[in-house]
Amino acid sequence: MSGAQTILVFVVLAPGAVFAVLGLLWLAGWAPGERVLSRLTGLTFFACTSGVAVLAWRLLAPGGVPAVVVTFGNWFAIGRYHFPLVLMVDRLSLAFLALTAVLSGLIGQFSATYLHQEPGFLRFFLLLHLFAFGSLLAFASGSFDLLAAGWEIVGITSVLLIAFFQLRPAPVENGLRVFGIYRACDIGLFVAIFALHHWAGTASFQRGFPALRGTHGTLIGLLLLLAAAGKAAQVPFSGWLPRAMEGPTPSSAIFYGAISIHAGAYLLLRAQPLLARSGLDSGLVILLGAATAIHGTLAGRASADTKTSLAYATLSQVGIVFIEIGLGWKWLAVAHILGNAMVRTMQYLRAPSMLHDYHQMHSAIGSELAPTGKQIEELLPQRVQLWLYRWAFDRGHLDTMLDRWIIRPLLQLSAYLAKTERSGTSGMLPQNISPIPAQGRAEQGGH
Amino acid sequence: MLQASPQPSRQAKLQAAIAEAAQLLPQQGPIGSFVHHNTLHHFEALPFEEAVKRAAQLFGAEPYMSEAAYRAELARGRFQLVDVDAALDREPDFPILARLSRGALRRAMITPGVREFDAATIVWRIEQGDLAKDFRKPALRTLFEACFDRTIAHEEEPDQPRPVDEIIHPWLIRLCSVFLDQGTAYWPMPHREQGFYESTRTLFSSRGGIFPQYLVGLDQEFRRQQDLSFSAADAVLDSLSSQAGDEAEWPEIIQAELLALPGWAGLMHRLEKDPDLAPHRTLPCSLLDYLAVRLTMSRVASRRGAAEITPEENPLKTQERRRLSRTARVYDAARVLRFSAQEIKGLTDGEWATFSSEIKAFHGLERRRILHLAYERAHEREILRGLASHRKYRGLFDAAGRPAAQIFFCIDEREESLRRALEEAEPRVETYGAAGYFGVAVDYKGIDDAHSAAFCPVVIKPEHAVVEQPKAEDSGLLESRRSRRKFLGLFMRNSFVSSKTLVRGWLSTALLGLFSVVPLIGRLLAPRQYARLHDWLNRTFLPEPRTELTLMRNTTQSQSAVEGLLTGFDPDEKAERVASVLRPAGLASGFARLVLILGHGSTSLNNPHESAHDCGACGGRRGGPNARLFAAMANRPEVRQRLRETGIHIPADTWFLGGYHDTCSDHIELFDLESIPSTHAADLGLIRKALEEARAQNARERARRFESCSAKVEARQALRHVEERSEHLAQPRPEYGHCTNAVCIVGRRRLTRGVFLDRRAFLASYDNAQDPTGDHLVALMAGVVPVCAGISLEYYFSFVDNDRYGCGTKLPHNVTGLIGVMDGHASDLRTGLPWQMVELHEPVRILFVIETTPEKLEKVIDAQAELKQLVTHRWIRMATIDPESGRVHVRRENGYEGFQEALERLPVALSSNEWYAGKMQHLPMAWIQAPAIIPSEAAG
Repeated sequence: MSGAQTILVFVVLAPGAVFAVLGLLWLAGWAPGERVLSRLTGLTFFACTSGVAVLAWRLLAPGGVPAVVVTFGNWFAIGRYHFPLVLMVDRLSLAFLALTAVLSGLIGQFSATYLHQEPGFLRFFLLLHLFAFGSLLAFASGSFDLLAAGWEIVGITSVLLIAFFQLRPAPVENGLRVFGIYRACDIGLFVAIFALHHWAGTASFQRGFPALRGTHGTLIGLLLLLAAAGKAAQVPFSGWLPRAMEGPTPSSAIFYGAISIHAGAYLLLRAQPLLARSGLDSGLVILLGAATAIHGTLAGRASADTKTSLAYATLSQVGIVFIEIGLGWKWLAVAHILGNAMVRTMQYLRAPSMLHDYHQMHSAIGSELAPTGKQIEELLPQRVQLWLYRWAFDRGHLDTMLDRWIIRPLLQLSAYLAKTERSGTSGMLPQNISPIPAQGRAEQGGH
Repeated sequence: MLQASPQPSRQAKLQAAIAEAAQLLPQQGPIGSFVHHNTLHHFEALPFEEAVKRAAQLFGAEPYMSEAAYRAELARGRFQLVDVDAALDREPDFPILARLSRGALRRAMITPGVREFDAATIVWRIEQGDLAKDFRKPALRTLFEACFDRTIAHEEEPDQPRPVDEIIHPWLIRLCSVFLDQGTAYWPMPHREQGFYESTRTLFSSRGGIFPQYLVGLDQEFRRQQDLSFSAADAVLDSLSSQAGDEAEWPEIIQAELLALPGWAGLMHRLEKDPDLAPHRTLPCSLLDYLAVRLTMSRVASRRGAAEITPEENPLKTQERRRLSRTARVYDAARVLRFSAQEIKGLTDGEWATFSSEIKAFHGLERRRILHLAYERAHEREILRGLASHRKYRGLFDAAGRPAAQIFFCIDEREESLRRALEEAEPRVETYGAAGYFGVAVDYKGIDDAHSAAFCPVVIKPEHAVVEQPKAEDSGLLESRRSRRKFLGLFMRNSFVSSKTLVRGWLSTALLGLFSVVPLIGRLLAPRQYARLHDWLNRTFLPEPRTELTLMRNTTQSQSAVEGLLTGFDPDEKAERVASVLRPAGLASGFARLVLILGHGSTSLNNPHESAHDCGACGGRRGGPNARLFAAMANRPEVRQRLRETGIHIPADTWFLGGYHDTCSDHIELFDLESIPSTHAADLGLIRKALEEARAQNARERARRFESCSAKVEARQALRHVEERSEHLAQPRPEYGHCTNAVCIVGRRRLTRGVFLDRRAFLASYDNAQDPTGDHLVALMAGVVPVCAGISLEYYFSFVDNDRYGCGTKLPHNVTGLIGVMDGHASDLRTGLPWQMVELHEPVRILFVIETTPEKLEKVIDAQAELKQLVTHRWIRMATIDPESGRVHVRRENGYEGFQEALERLPVALSSNEWYAGKMQHLPMAWIQAPAIIPSEAAG
């Protein structure tokens, strides 16, 4: 293995190794102190960032290689199907690897102070390492197979951090909701991989797409779009985004300000050659992006709490990123993602300062802050204004519709099936199971 | 059909019911100016123990710490069994069974103590938990059997689920937040100037909306109300009549509705009473409006069948399990009393009933009450013994000669360590404590402020306005400062608002976004250096003009045009303000050449609760201007002339100087140094050196509590540590605030000088000898008690139930509408103090120790109804220490009780640092014999 390949492997595996080792030690009953943990985190991400810098040099320096690839062969192979273990970093991956390594380090630094003496300190850092591993894996994988693994890790850590405060019901409920949406949309990714293997014989980025025929390509593009839209909270799935604000502020920042929210865009960037071949796919990407951008900006304008308003601000830019991808402006999209991630991370981390900042601005300007939103009030007729405000207030009615017309019928169906099953099987069970378990007296009877 | 205009009497009844229920809501206003107050203020008409119990039932909150926490403190030696005995001895005692008295039963239930049982875990505990372990002993098993046989399976009150709340809260919360928003949302709620009910109705009654499953029809309902041109009161009455025909049920319904989201309802109520509390936009809030919206929504939801979706009965709480847990409670008491199964079986039915009901009556809450009393008693003993012993062995002695300086601090317990450090650094100084607005209740506007604000305790309405102005020669500087700040402010706001919009947001993220990495890295990796860079840029581009205050008033009539406030103070008023601080402190003569007045406040980043660390006596603001004003007044010849006439002789060579102490960064700033006479340069040099040393020592003493700071830190490093804390974006504990408050000592500094009080005592200067009538004490207590009691009780409740009375951990807090914090995206508005602010607290009611006689104190208490209520209902504790004899008396329900403890010498340390170094926990009192004063001590 060459130096660059070793470094690539190291960058991806380091946070995963930290997670695995600490997690096992924790299970064995040993927990590191806060100081050890934060040093270790700092060191890990410093090493990762340095590794990414070296990779950047290999790729971007004059005479650099187009990609660094490490192949470990197949995890397993069954007949024609095989699961290749390929890590690959090209210029596109590089941007996302750098983003992940740098921000994980900074968020780790922030959280070491922020979560000081929090009972879930270790849990948070384990999840941060696992998340970093998942993202690095997703961004550095050479095929959709491995990407899906990283993708799922990002999803599950995201859910576990939303439900971080597990003693209150709201975080857990909202975490579960996000989990549900993720799972539903991930079907797209898995079916796409299945289809790629079926039609092209491989899910590798380089070799997969050229082998596809037109309609097959379009279909796979649509499936990938479904997965990307769920992860990036695009319309019609946007309702989960404000619910994800239950976690500690730094995890909101790195997930929904920076990395997880842009993972969908990465998936589309990877699939861009495929999307570009199909007018339907590109059109849909643009349409979805535009709808999300407008949805995000309107819903955000009617949100009065800092984190939700930031979440929608992030979302509307992600919508534009989708448009850029749909139009084929790949590198603009990457620059936009990086910029959006940095701005939002900073804004999330500073979110508790809103009072302070507004007070400062107010006293600096010396008079009341000019009201915003006047142009809406002036331009739109009264009825439209009210309708639109209500639409923005209920966040495009997206969750309301989802609840009423998808989730509720599903629950009713399952309740009906459960009832049917019970009535069909009731005769087979013994009657009158006592809810009281055996206690002292029963045992005594035996003596 | 409907009554278009209900009877006025129904309206009146409704208003009365709302007013009644509203008193139960939190009193906290918008979070930007946080004023500490008793969380259970409304219950002050009840005795403390009764009040906490009632409130606990009403709010589902905890009245005391958990039993386990008290037991841990008992095991740690924080209090002793004698304290438990003393607390139990005050309870009525009588025989319950032949061989058992009530007192003996209660004692046994506390120590060795019984366990808590509940229906949810009882089966597990019987099968595999601690009870299973018990049952390995056949005697205990039969004992349990015997108890089980005699325990009747009677009903218990099941919890009332409120399924409708879960349906309506997401929207209601969002409605409240957009209605009350002060500028977060780009698009304000349409028509909100018409009030909450009207604007909500207009919003929802237009056609074409999609509603959640259980709120379908909300638009029709609102349209119906609109067609009948309902007022909010009509809507409420209409809803009430539809769900309860009987008007007697209204108060209960209204109370339950308001307490379902107490934070939001409380803020609506607060802003209704005092609309000017809103920081940026005044809004027509009304609790009636809130209730109208709430009831309309619940009505629609109930109509749609939301109320019927009751959750299935919790299988962990069936009747059998309840019976088992009741059995276990009696069993455990019988076990610790060493009863046998035979004895239980042998009890008559009457005896059994008495026995089991006595055990039931001494339930967990009652045990915790006794444990709490014992816990407080130990605290009281420790403090009083320490003070009395210090008084006895150290005695009162006067330093010879004129002090090098006199420094007035706020009474704040956070200044105790700074005072001690200053006296250690420079033993020739004297320090005093006075409520940190220093008698100057003022409506103040600094050069950088957009508005004026009241700088005084919240109970006082200022009558005078003071404006900070640039000195004539610097007015050009102010102009440029203002215009640059304005430009900067507009730029900041525009870029922030733009970054969240669509098109401009594209520019600021796609093109400029990467620049954010600079502050991101700077703030996170080098917060202190980044803050310094920031300060340097500020100083360079925004130089501050030298300023003066509008103190003078030419005529007494010159009421300023705004709000009927008087501009500045006339000479008589000035003299009165100055005297109001000097006289109770006993400082009428013997002034040093330099008298410093230090106000205080706190600066921290990323902290919505920042204002809670500011000066409570200044209404949750930073007390620098008050100190500066006081000094400016006291320096005026005409003021000194008038003071002389009233017996306060300030020599011509005494100069007053105002200053400001930041309790977070331990930065100390002195004002108006350019006007100090050149003759005082040496005095100033001396005191500045002492302050420099003292603030570093103070930082070190504070740092001992911070786990993230090394235990062996040097004073200078500690100072850097606390400076970094105040500038750190990620720091949830910039300072520990009033976390350690427990005592308030009103008396001469001689009583406490040299005592290590561990930042736990508010210190108010008071000289009994100069106050024969007690009038000074009345005035002093009127200012000190509400502030101290408010802080003490807010910390108490936020600590014992941080989730219900406090606002939980800061980490998921989300600033909403610039008026408060929520957990996550849709929770109730969280009121009270966050866990990070209270985690070190010892929840005791504040103990006032007053250097006077019981007779005089009684007169003072009788003079003020509010004080009397707090004292007689035991919300605060009172003791006196005699100024002449040093004898200590504690005020109990039935009069004053002489303090009869053996007085041992306090442990001695050569410096504060020697006493606290390397320790993190609360420390007992000690006598700090700074080396510099040892010779005179030894001689005396």
